[in-house]
Amino acid sequence: MGWVTDHPPRMEALDSCVACGLCLPVCPTFRLTGDETASPRGRLTAMKAVASHGMEVDERFAEMMSFCLQCRACETACPSMVPFGGVMEASRTEARTQVPVRRDWFRRLLLVNVLRSRFLLRVATIFAAVMQRIGLLIRLPVVGAQTRGLRPLSLPVRTTAGGTWGNPSGDVAMLLSGCVADVWFSDVHKATIEVLVAAGYRVEAPANQTCCGALAAHGGFADDARSMANCNIKAFASADVIVTDVAGCGAHLKVYGRYGDDGAGVAAKVRDVNEVVASAITDGRLPSFPTSGRKIGIQDPCHLEHGQHTATAVDVVIGAAGFTPIAIDRGGQCCGAAGLYQIDYPEISEQLGRMKADRVTDAGTTTVVSANAGCEMQLRRFLDDGYRIRHPIEVYRDRMMEDDRRPTTDD
Amino acid sequence: MPLIDELVALLGPERVRHHPLDLAVFAKDAGVTSGPVVAAVFPETAAEVAACVKLAVTHGVPIVPRGAGTGLAGGAVPIDPGLLIVVTRMNQIHEIDEIGRTAWVGPGLINLDLSTSLASRGLHFAPDPSSQRASTIGGNVGTNAGGPHCLADGTTVAHILAAELVTADGDIVIVGSDAPDLPGLDLRAVVVGSEGTLGIVTKVLVRLMQNPPNAATLLIGFSTIQDAAATVSRIIASGSIPAALEMMDRPMVEAVEAFVQAGYPTDVAAVLLAEVTGTGQSVADTTSLIESIAHSNNAASIRVATDSAERALLWKGRKSAFGAVSQKAPDYYLHDTVVPRTRLVEVLGQIYEIGERHGVEMLNVFHAGDGNLHPLVAFDANEPGMFERVRAAADEMVRASIEAGGTLSGEHGIGIEKRDLMPLVFNEADLDAQARIRDAFDPQRIMNPGKVLPSGSRCFDASGARL
Ligand SMILES: Cc1cc2nc3c(=O)[nH]c(=O)nc-3n(C[C@H](O)[C@H](O)[C@H](O)COP(=O)(O)OP(=O)(O)OC[C@H]3O[C@@H](n4cnc5c(N)ncnc54)[C@H](O)[C@@H]3O)c2cc1C
Ligand code: SF4
Ligand code: SF4
Repeated sequence: MGWVTDHPPRMEALDSCVACGLCLPVCPTFRLTGDETASPRGRLTAMKAVASHGMEVDERFAEMMSFCLQCRACETACPSMVPFGGVMEASRTEARTQVPVRRDWFRRLLLVNVLRSRFLLRVATIFAAVMQRIGLLIRLPVVGAQTRGLRPLSLPVRTTAGGTWGNPSGDVAMLLSGCVADVWFSDVHKATIEVLVAAGYRVEAPANQTCCGALAAHGGFADDARSMANCNIKAFASADVIVTDVAGCGAHLKVYGRYGDDGAGVAAKVRDVNEVVASAITDGRLPSFPTSGRKIGIQDPCHLEHGQHTATAVDVVIGAAGFTPIAIDRGGQCCGAAGLYQIDYPEISEQLGRMKADRVTDAGTTTVVSANAGCEMQLRRFLDDGYRIRHPIEVYRDRMMEDDRRPTTDD
Repeated sequence: MPLIDELVALLGPERVRHHPLDLAVFAKDAGVTSGPVVAAVFPETAAEVAACVKLAVTHGVPIVPRGAGTGLAGGAVPIDPGLLIVVTRMNQIHEIDEIGRTAWVGPGLINLDLSTSLASRGLHFAPDPSSQRASTIGGNVGTNAGGPHCLADGTTVAHILAAELVTADGDIVIVGSDAPDLPGLDLRAVVVGSEGTLGIVTKVLVRLMQNPPNAATLLIGFSTIQDAAATVSRIIASGSIPAALEMMDRPMVEAVEAFVQAGYPTDVAAVLLAEVTGTGQSVADTTSLIESIAHSNNAASIRVATDSAERALLWKGRKSAFGAVSQKAPDYYLHDTVVPRTRLVEVLGQIYEIGERHGVEMLNVFHAGDGNLHPLVAFDANEPGMFERVRAAADEMVRASIEAGGTLSGEHGIGIEKRDLMPLVFNEADLDAQARIRDAFDPQRIMNPGKVLPSGSRCFDASGARL
């Protein structure tokens, strides 16, 4: 039957793969299995087989696609610059549309309905916060183990959407509050806002924004992802710069160009907070602090390294905060967090999580920064309590605050 | 029991792929031909490989060994419905002898992984095909792979001391040894480069080399191909063999630079990438010798990189060359001929002329130091009649190389794609001798049949069966 949706994998994108195989070794699922069908080239060949050679979108196709972590390491490795992320999302939508998926309604509820609704997110968070306090959260079926990686959830629930901060005449930095990030990682947003304000921005978190749609798009809910994107394209239209402090969301906002010219306009203004802060440090709008000699490990989220090609901005931020940045496993493999993947392929996710935790242990630093909420949770889940896992901007903000409190020598 | 069921009983369902979509995925390597696959299996030990071989023999299904599938000649592609024995899971480093500088490794180990894991000991595996970050040691043995640094160090065959092999009978044998000069026939050298036609390599004893203390990489731009080629000849004639000497023409440089952004000059007709290794003084001396030769041959620009990150980036560019081609067109077809270095300029001229005459887009990237050309034709296979045109042009390029005193293949192997050109370089007696060796290993012709030797290679081969 071939493709049936309005937006199947683009033929030019599939054609741009010359089958050289240079992407194989960077692919975590190929590394674990040695199986071409679990490799980027194999997945592209399967898509081509459907597009041009009469193969069906069947259960095996769906399985080949869903086994992909969507880490996009293959994109960075590919000399032909095949846009893998986009064709994979399209293939997943085809698979979801043509092959019955177990508990599809539940996945949609989670990835679309809950993530779009501030009310449902808040209710879920209050429930989770209570369960966390009485120690029952990690006992929950299916998701319990993953919640070990959560930060302590605050009660009452704090959110940022709708707020404005800082110099009214400064450049407008609009913050993507996000979905779970807003309710579970409000401390990170707080640090981001404080540092952006210090850099002279007027920070706004538009009230009419919604979830970026990354998880919906990765999960094969292309239409829902599009409608979320359209909502954000309106909400962020007037920004000077759009800032995200979750690498996965940033990587997705940066592909909004696929949703037309307005989308492209928004995408062009999106920056990870580390990029913004690193350039403010470089041009003197934010201070660099003398080095303390202490080390901080840097975990490179795939969505910063491969999705946005900006991993080194974190080094600048951590260096300016007075620490020696130690790259942990740069160019290495995905940590296995990968959204719903943790639930779909728990063993693989765990295996990759443990491998990443081992790299952290090898690096010998007990503080680690990650610019992506999902990776942060995965690290915390597989490292013991002796490790501190933070967002890089929190580290920079703390150093900034410490300095504010210390009397200057001129006094 | 059908073959698939027996394989599943042996390896479990996860290690036997046989769904139609799986077979489509496994139908090709990095070349252009595809073939019919019965199943792809992933054994993890020599004993499992032997068991798979015996099952295939019982069912009369031909066997095709496969590593990473980066081969460019269809070596890992079956001609008649065949069983792919994929060795990627046999990727262990079994033991390292640091003093004797050898290691026993699995055939599925990725070439670059071996060198990376030896870095802290200051050792590496010398053969460095441009595919080294993806291709396997077993595949390198299969094709006797070469690479930029093989100019000084020799190709894979010079770095393999012994191999464990599962034969067509399902026996596990060892060819070669770590002894410097083994009595008897050197079967090891016969197995290296046999493209899976003599058996499946299940373990390899590799020679390791010490990392050079110093290195410099020169990137030299020329406004004509002739000047670049003349520089190569003069460097070789000077008697100092650099560690590597590579050339790319402008279309290739453009594609590569768009990907790596390493600062390759895109306004010149050709670039030479030369590497010099050794101790500090000798590196400095050879570097300035190469610089002066380049200058006297009208070099347009010279950049010397000694910083290891900068060198690595330049090499990443060179090693991405084939992969970057799709920026020009979705498919490529390439040959791998060798020409005498003295006739480099002349043959290159002919190659461009042939490309132009057939109206096909040409890119060139090659191991200039040993005259190993990779004329590459970029095309769109969806265009009707295009592939035939490309093939005709490419075959003409091969003939031009051979007429100039060169040969058919430097390193990529013969596989299916170059098989029927073998009579251009071997006469009947040569082919017969090769076919007899093969029959001695595999009388039933079950191991990668139809590859390397054209049918009828065996004189008096009345059956006409595929070799
Ligand atoms: C981008 C690119 C660059 C390349 N650059 C070079 C280069 O610089 N130099 C070069 O020489 N080649 C080069 N190649 C070709 C290719 O990478 C080499 O031939 C490589 O050695 C193949 O290794 P593989 O693991 O992919 O083997 P495969 O492609 O899987 O197999 C190659 C052949 O070896 C046989 N084989 C594989 N494993 C075994 C085994 N365990 N036992 C017996 N037979 C086996 C197969 O049957 C087949 O005939 C390049 C290819 C690409 C795509
Ligand atoms: S590296 Fe790019 S061109 Fe090569 S096989 Fe992978 S996706 Fe295709
Ligand atoms: S996105 Fe990641 S897991 Fe998926 S094919 Fe690419 S490298 Fe492999």
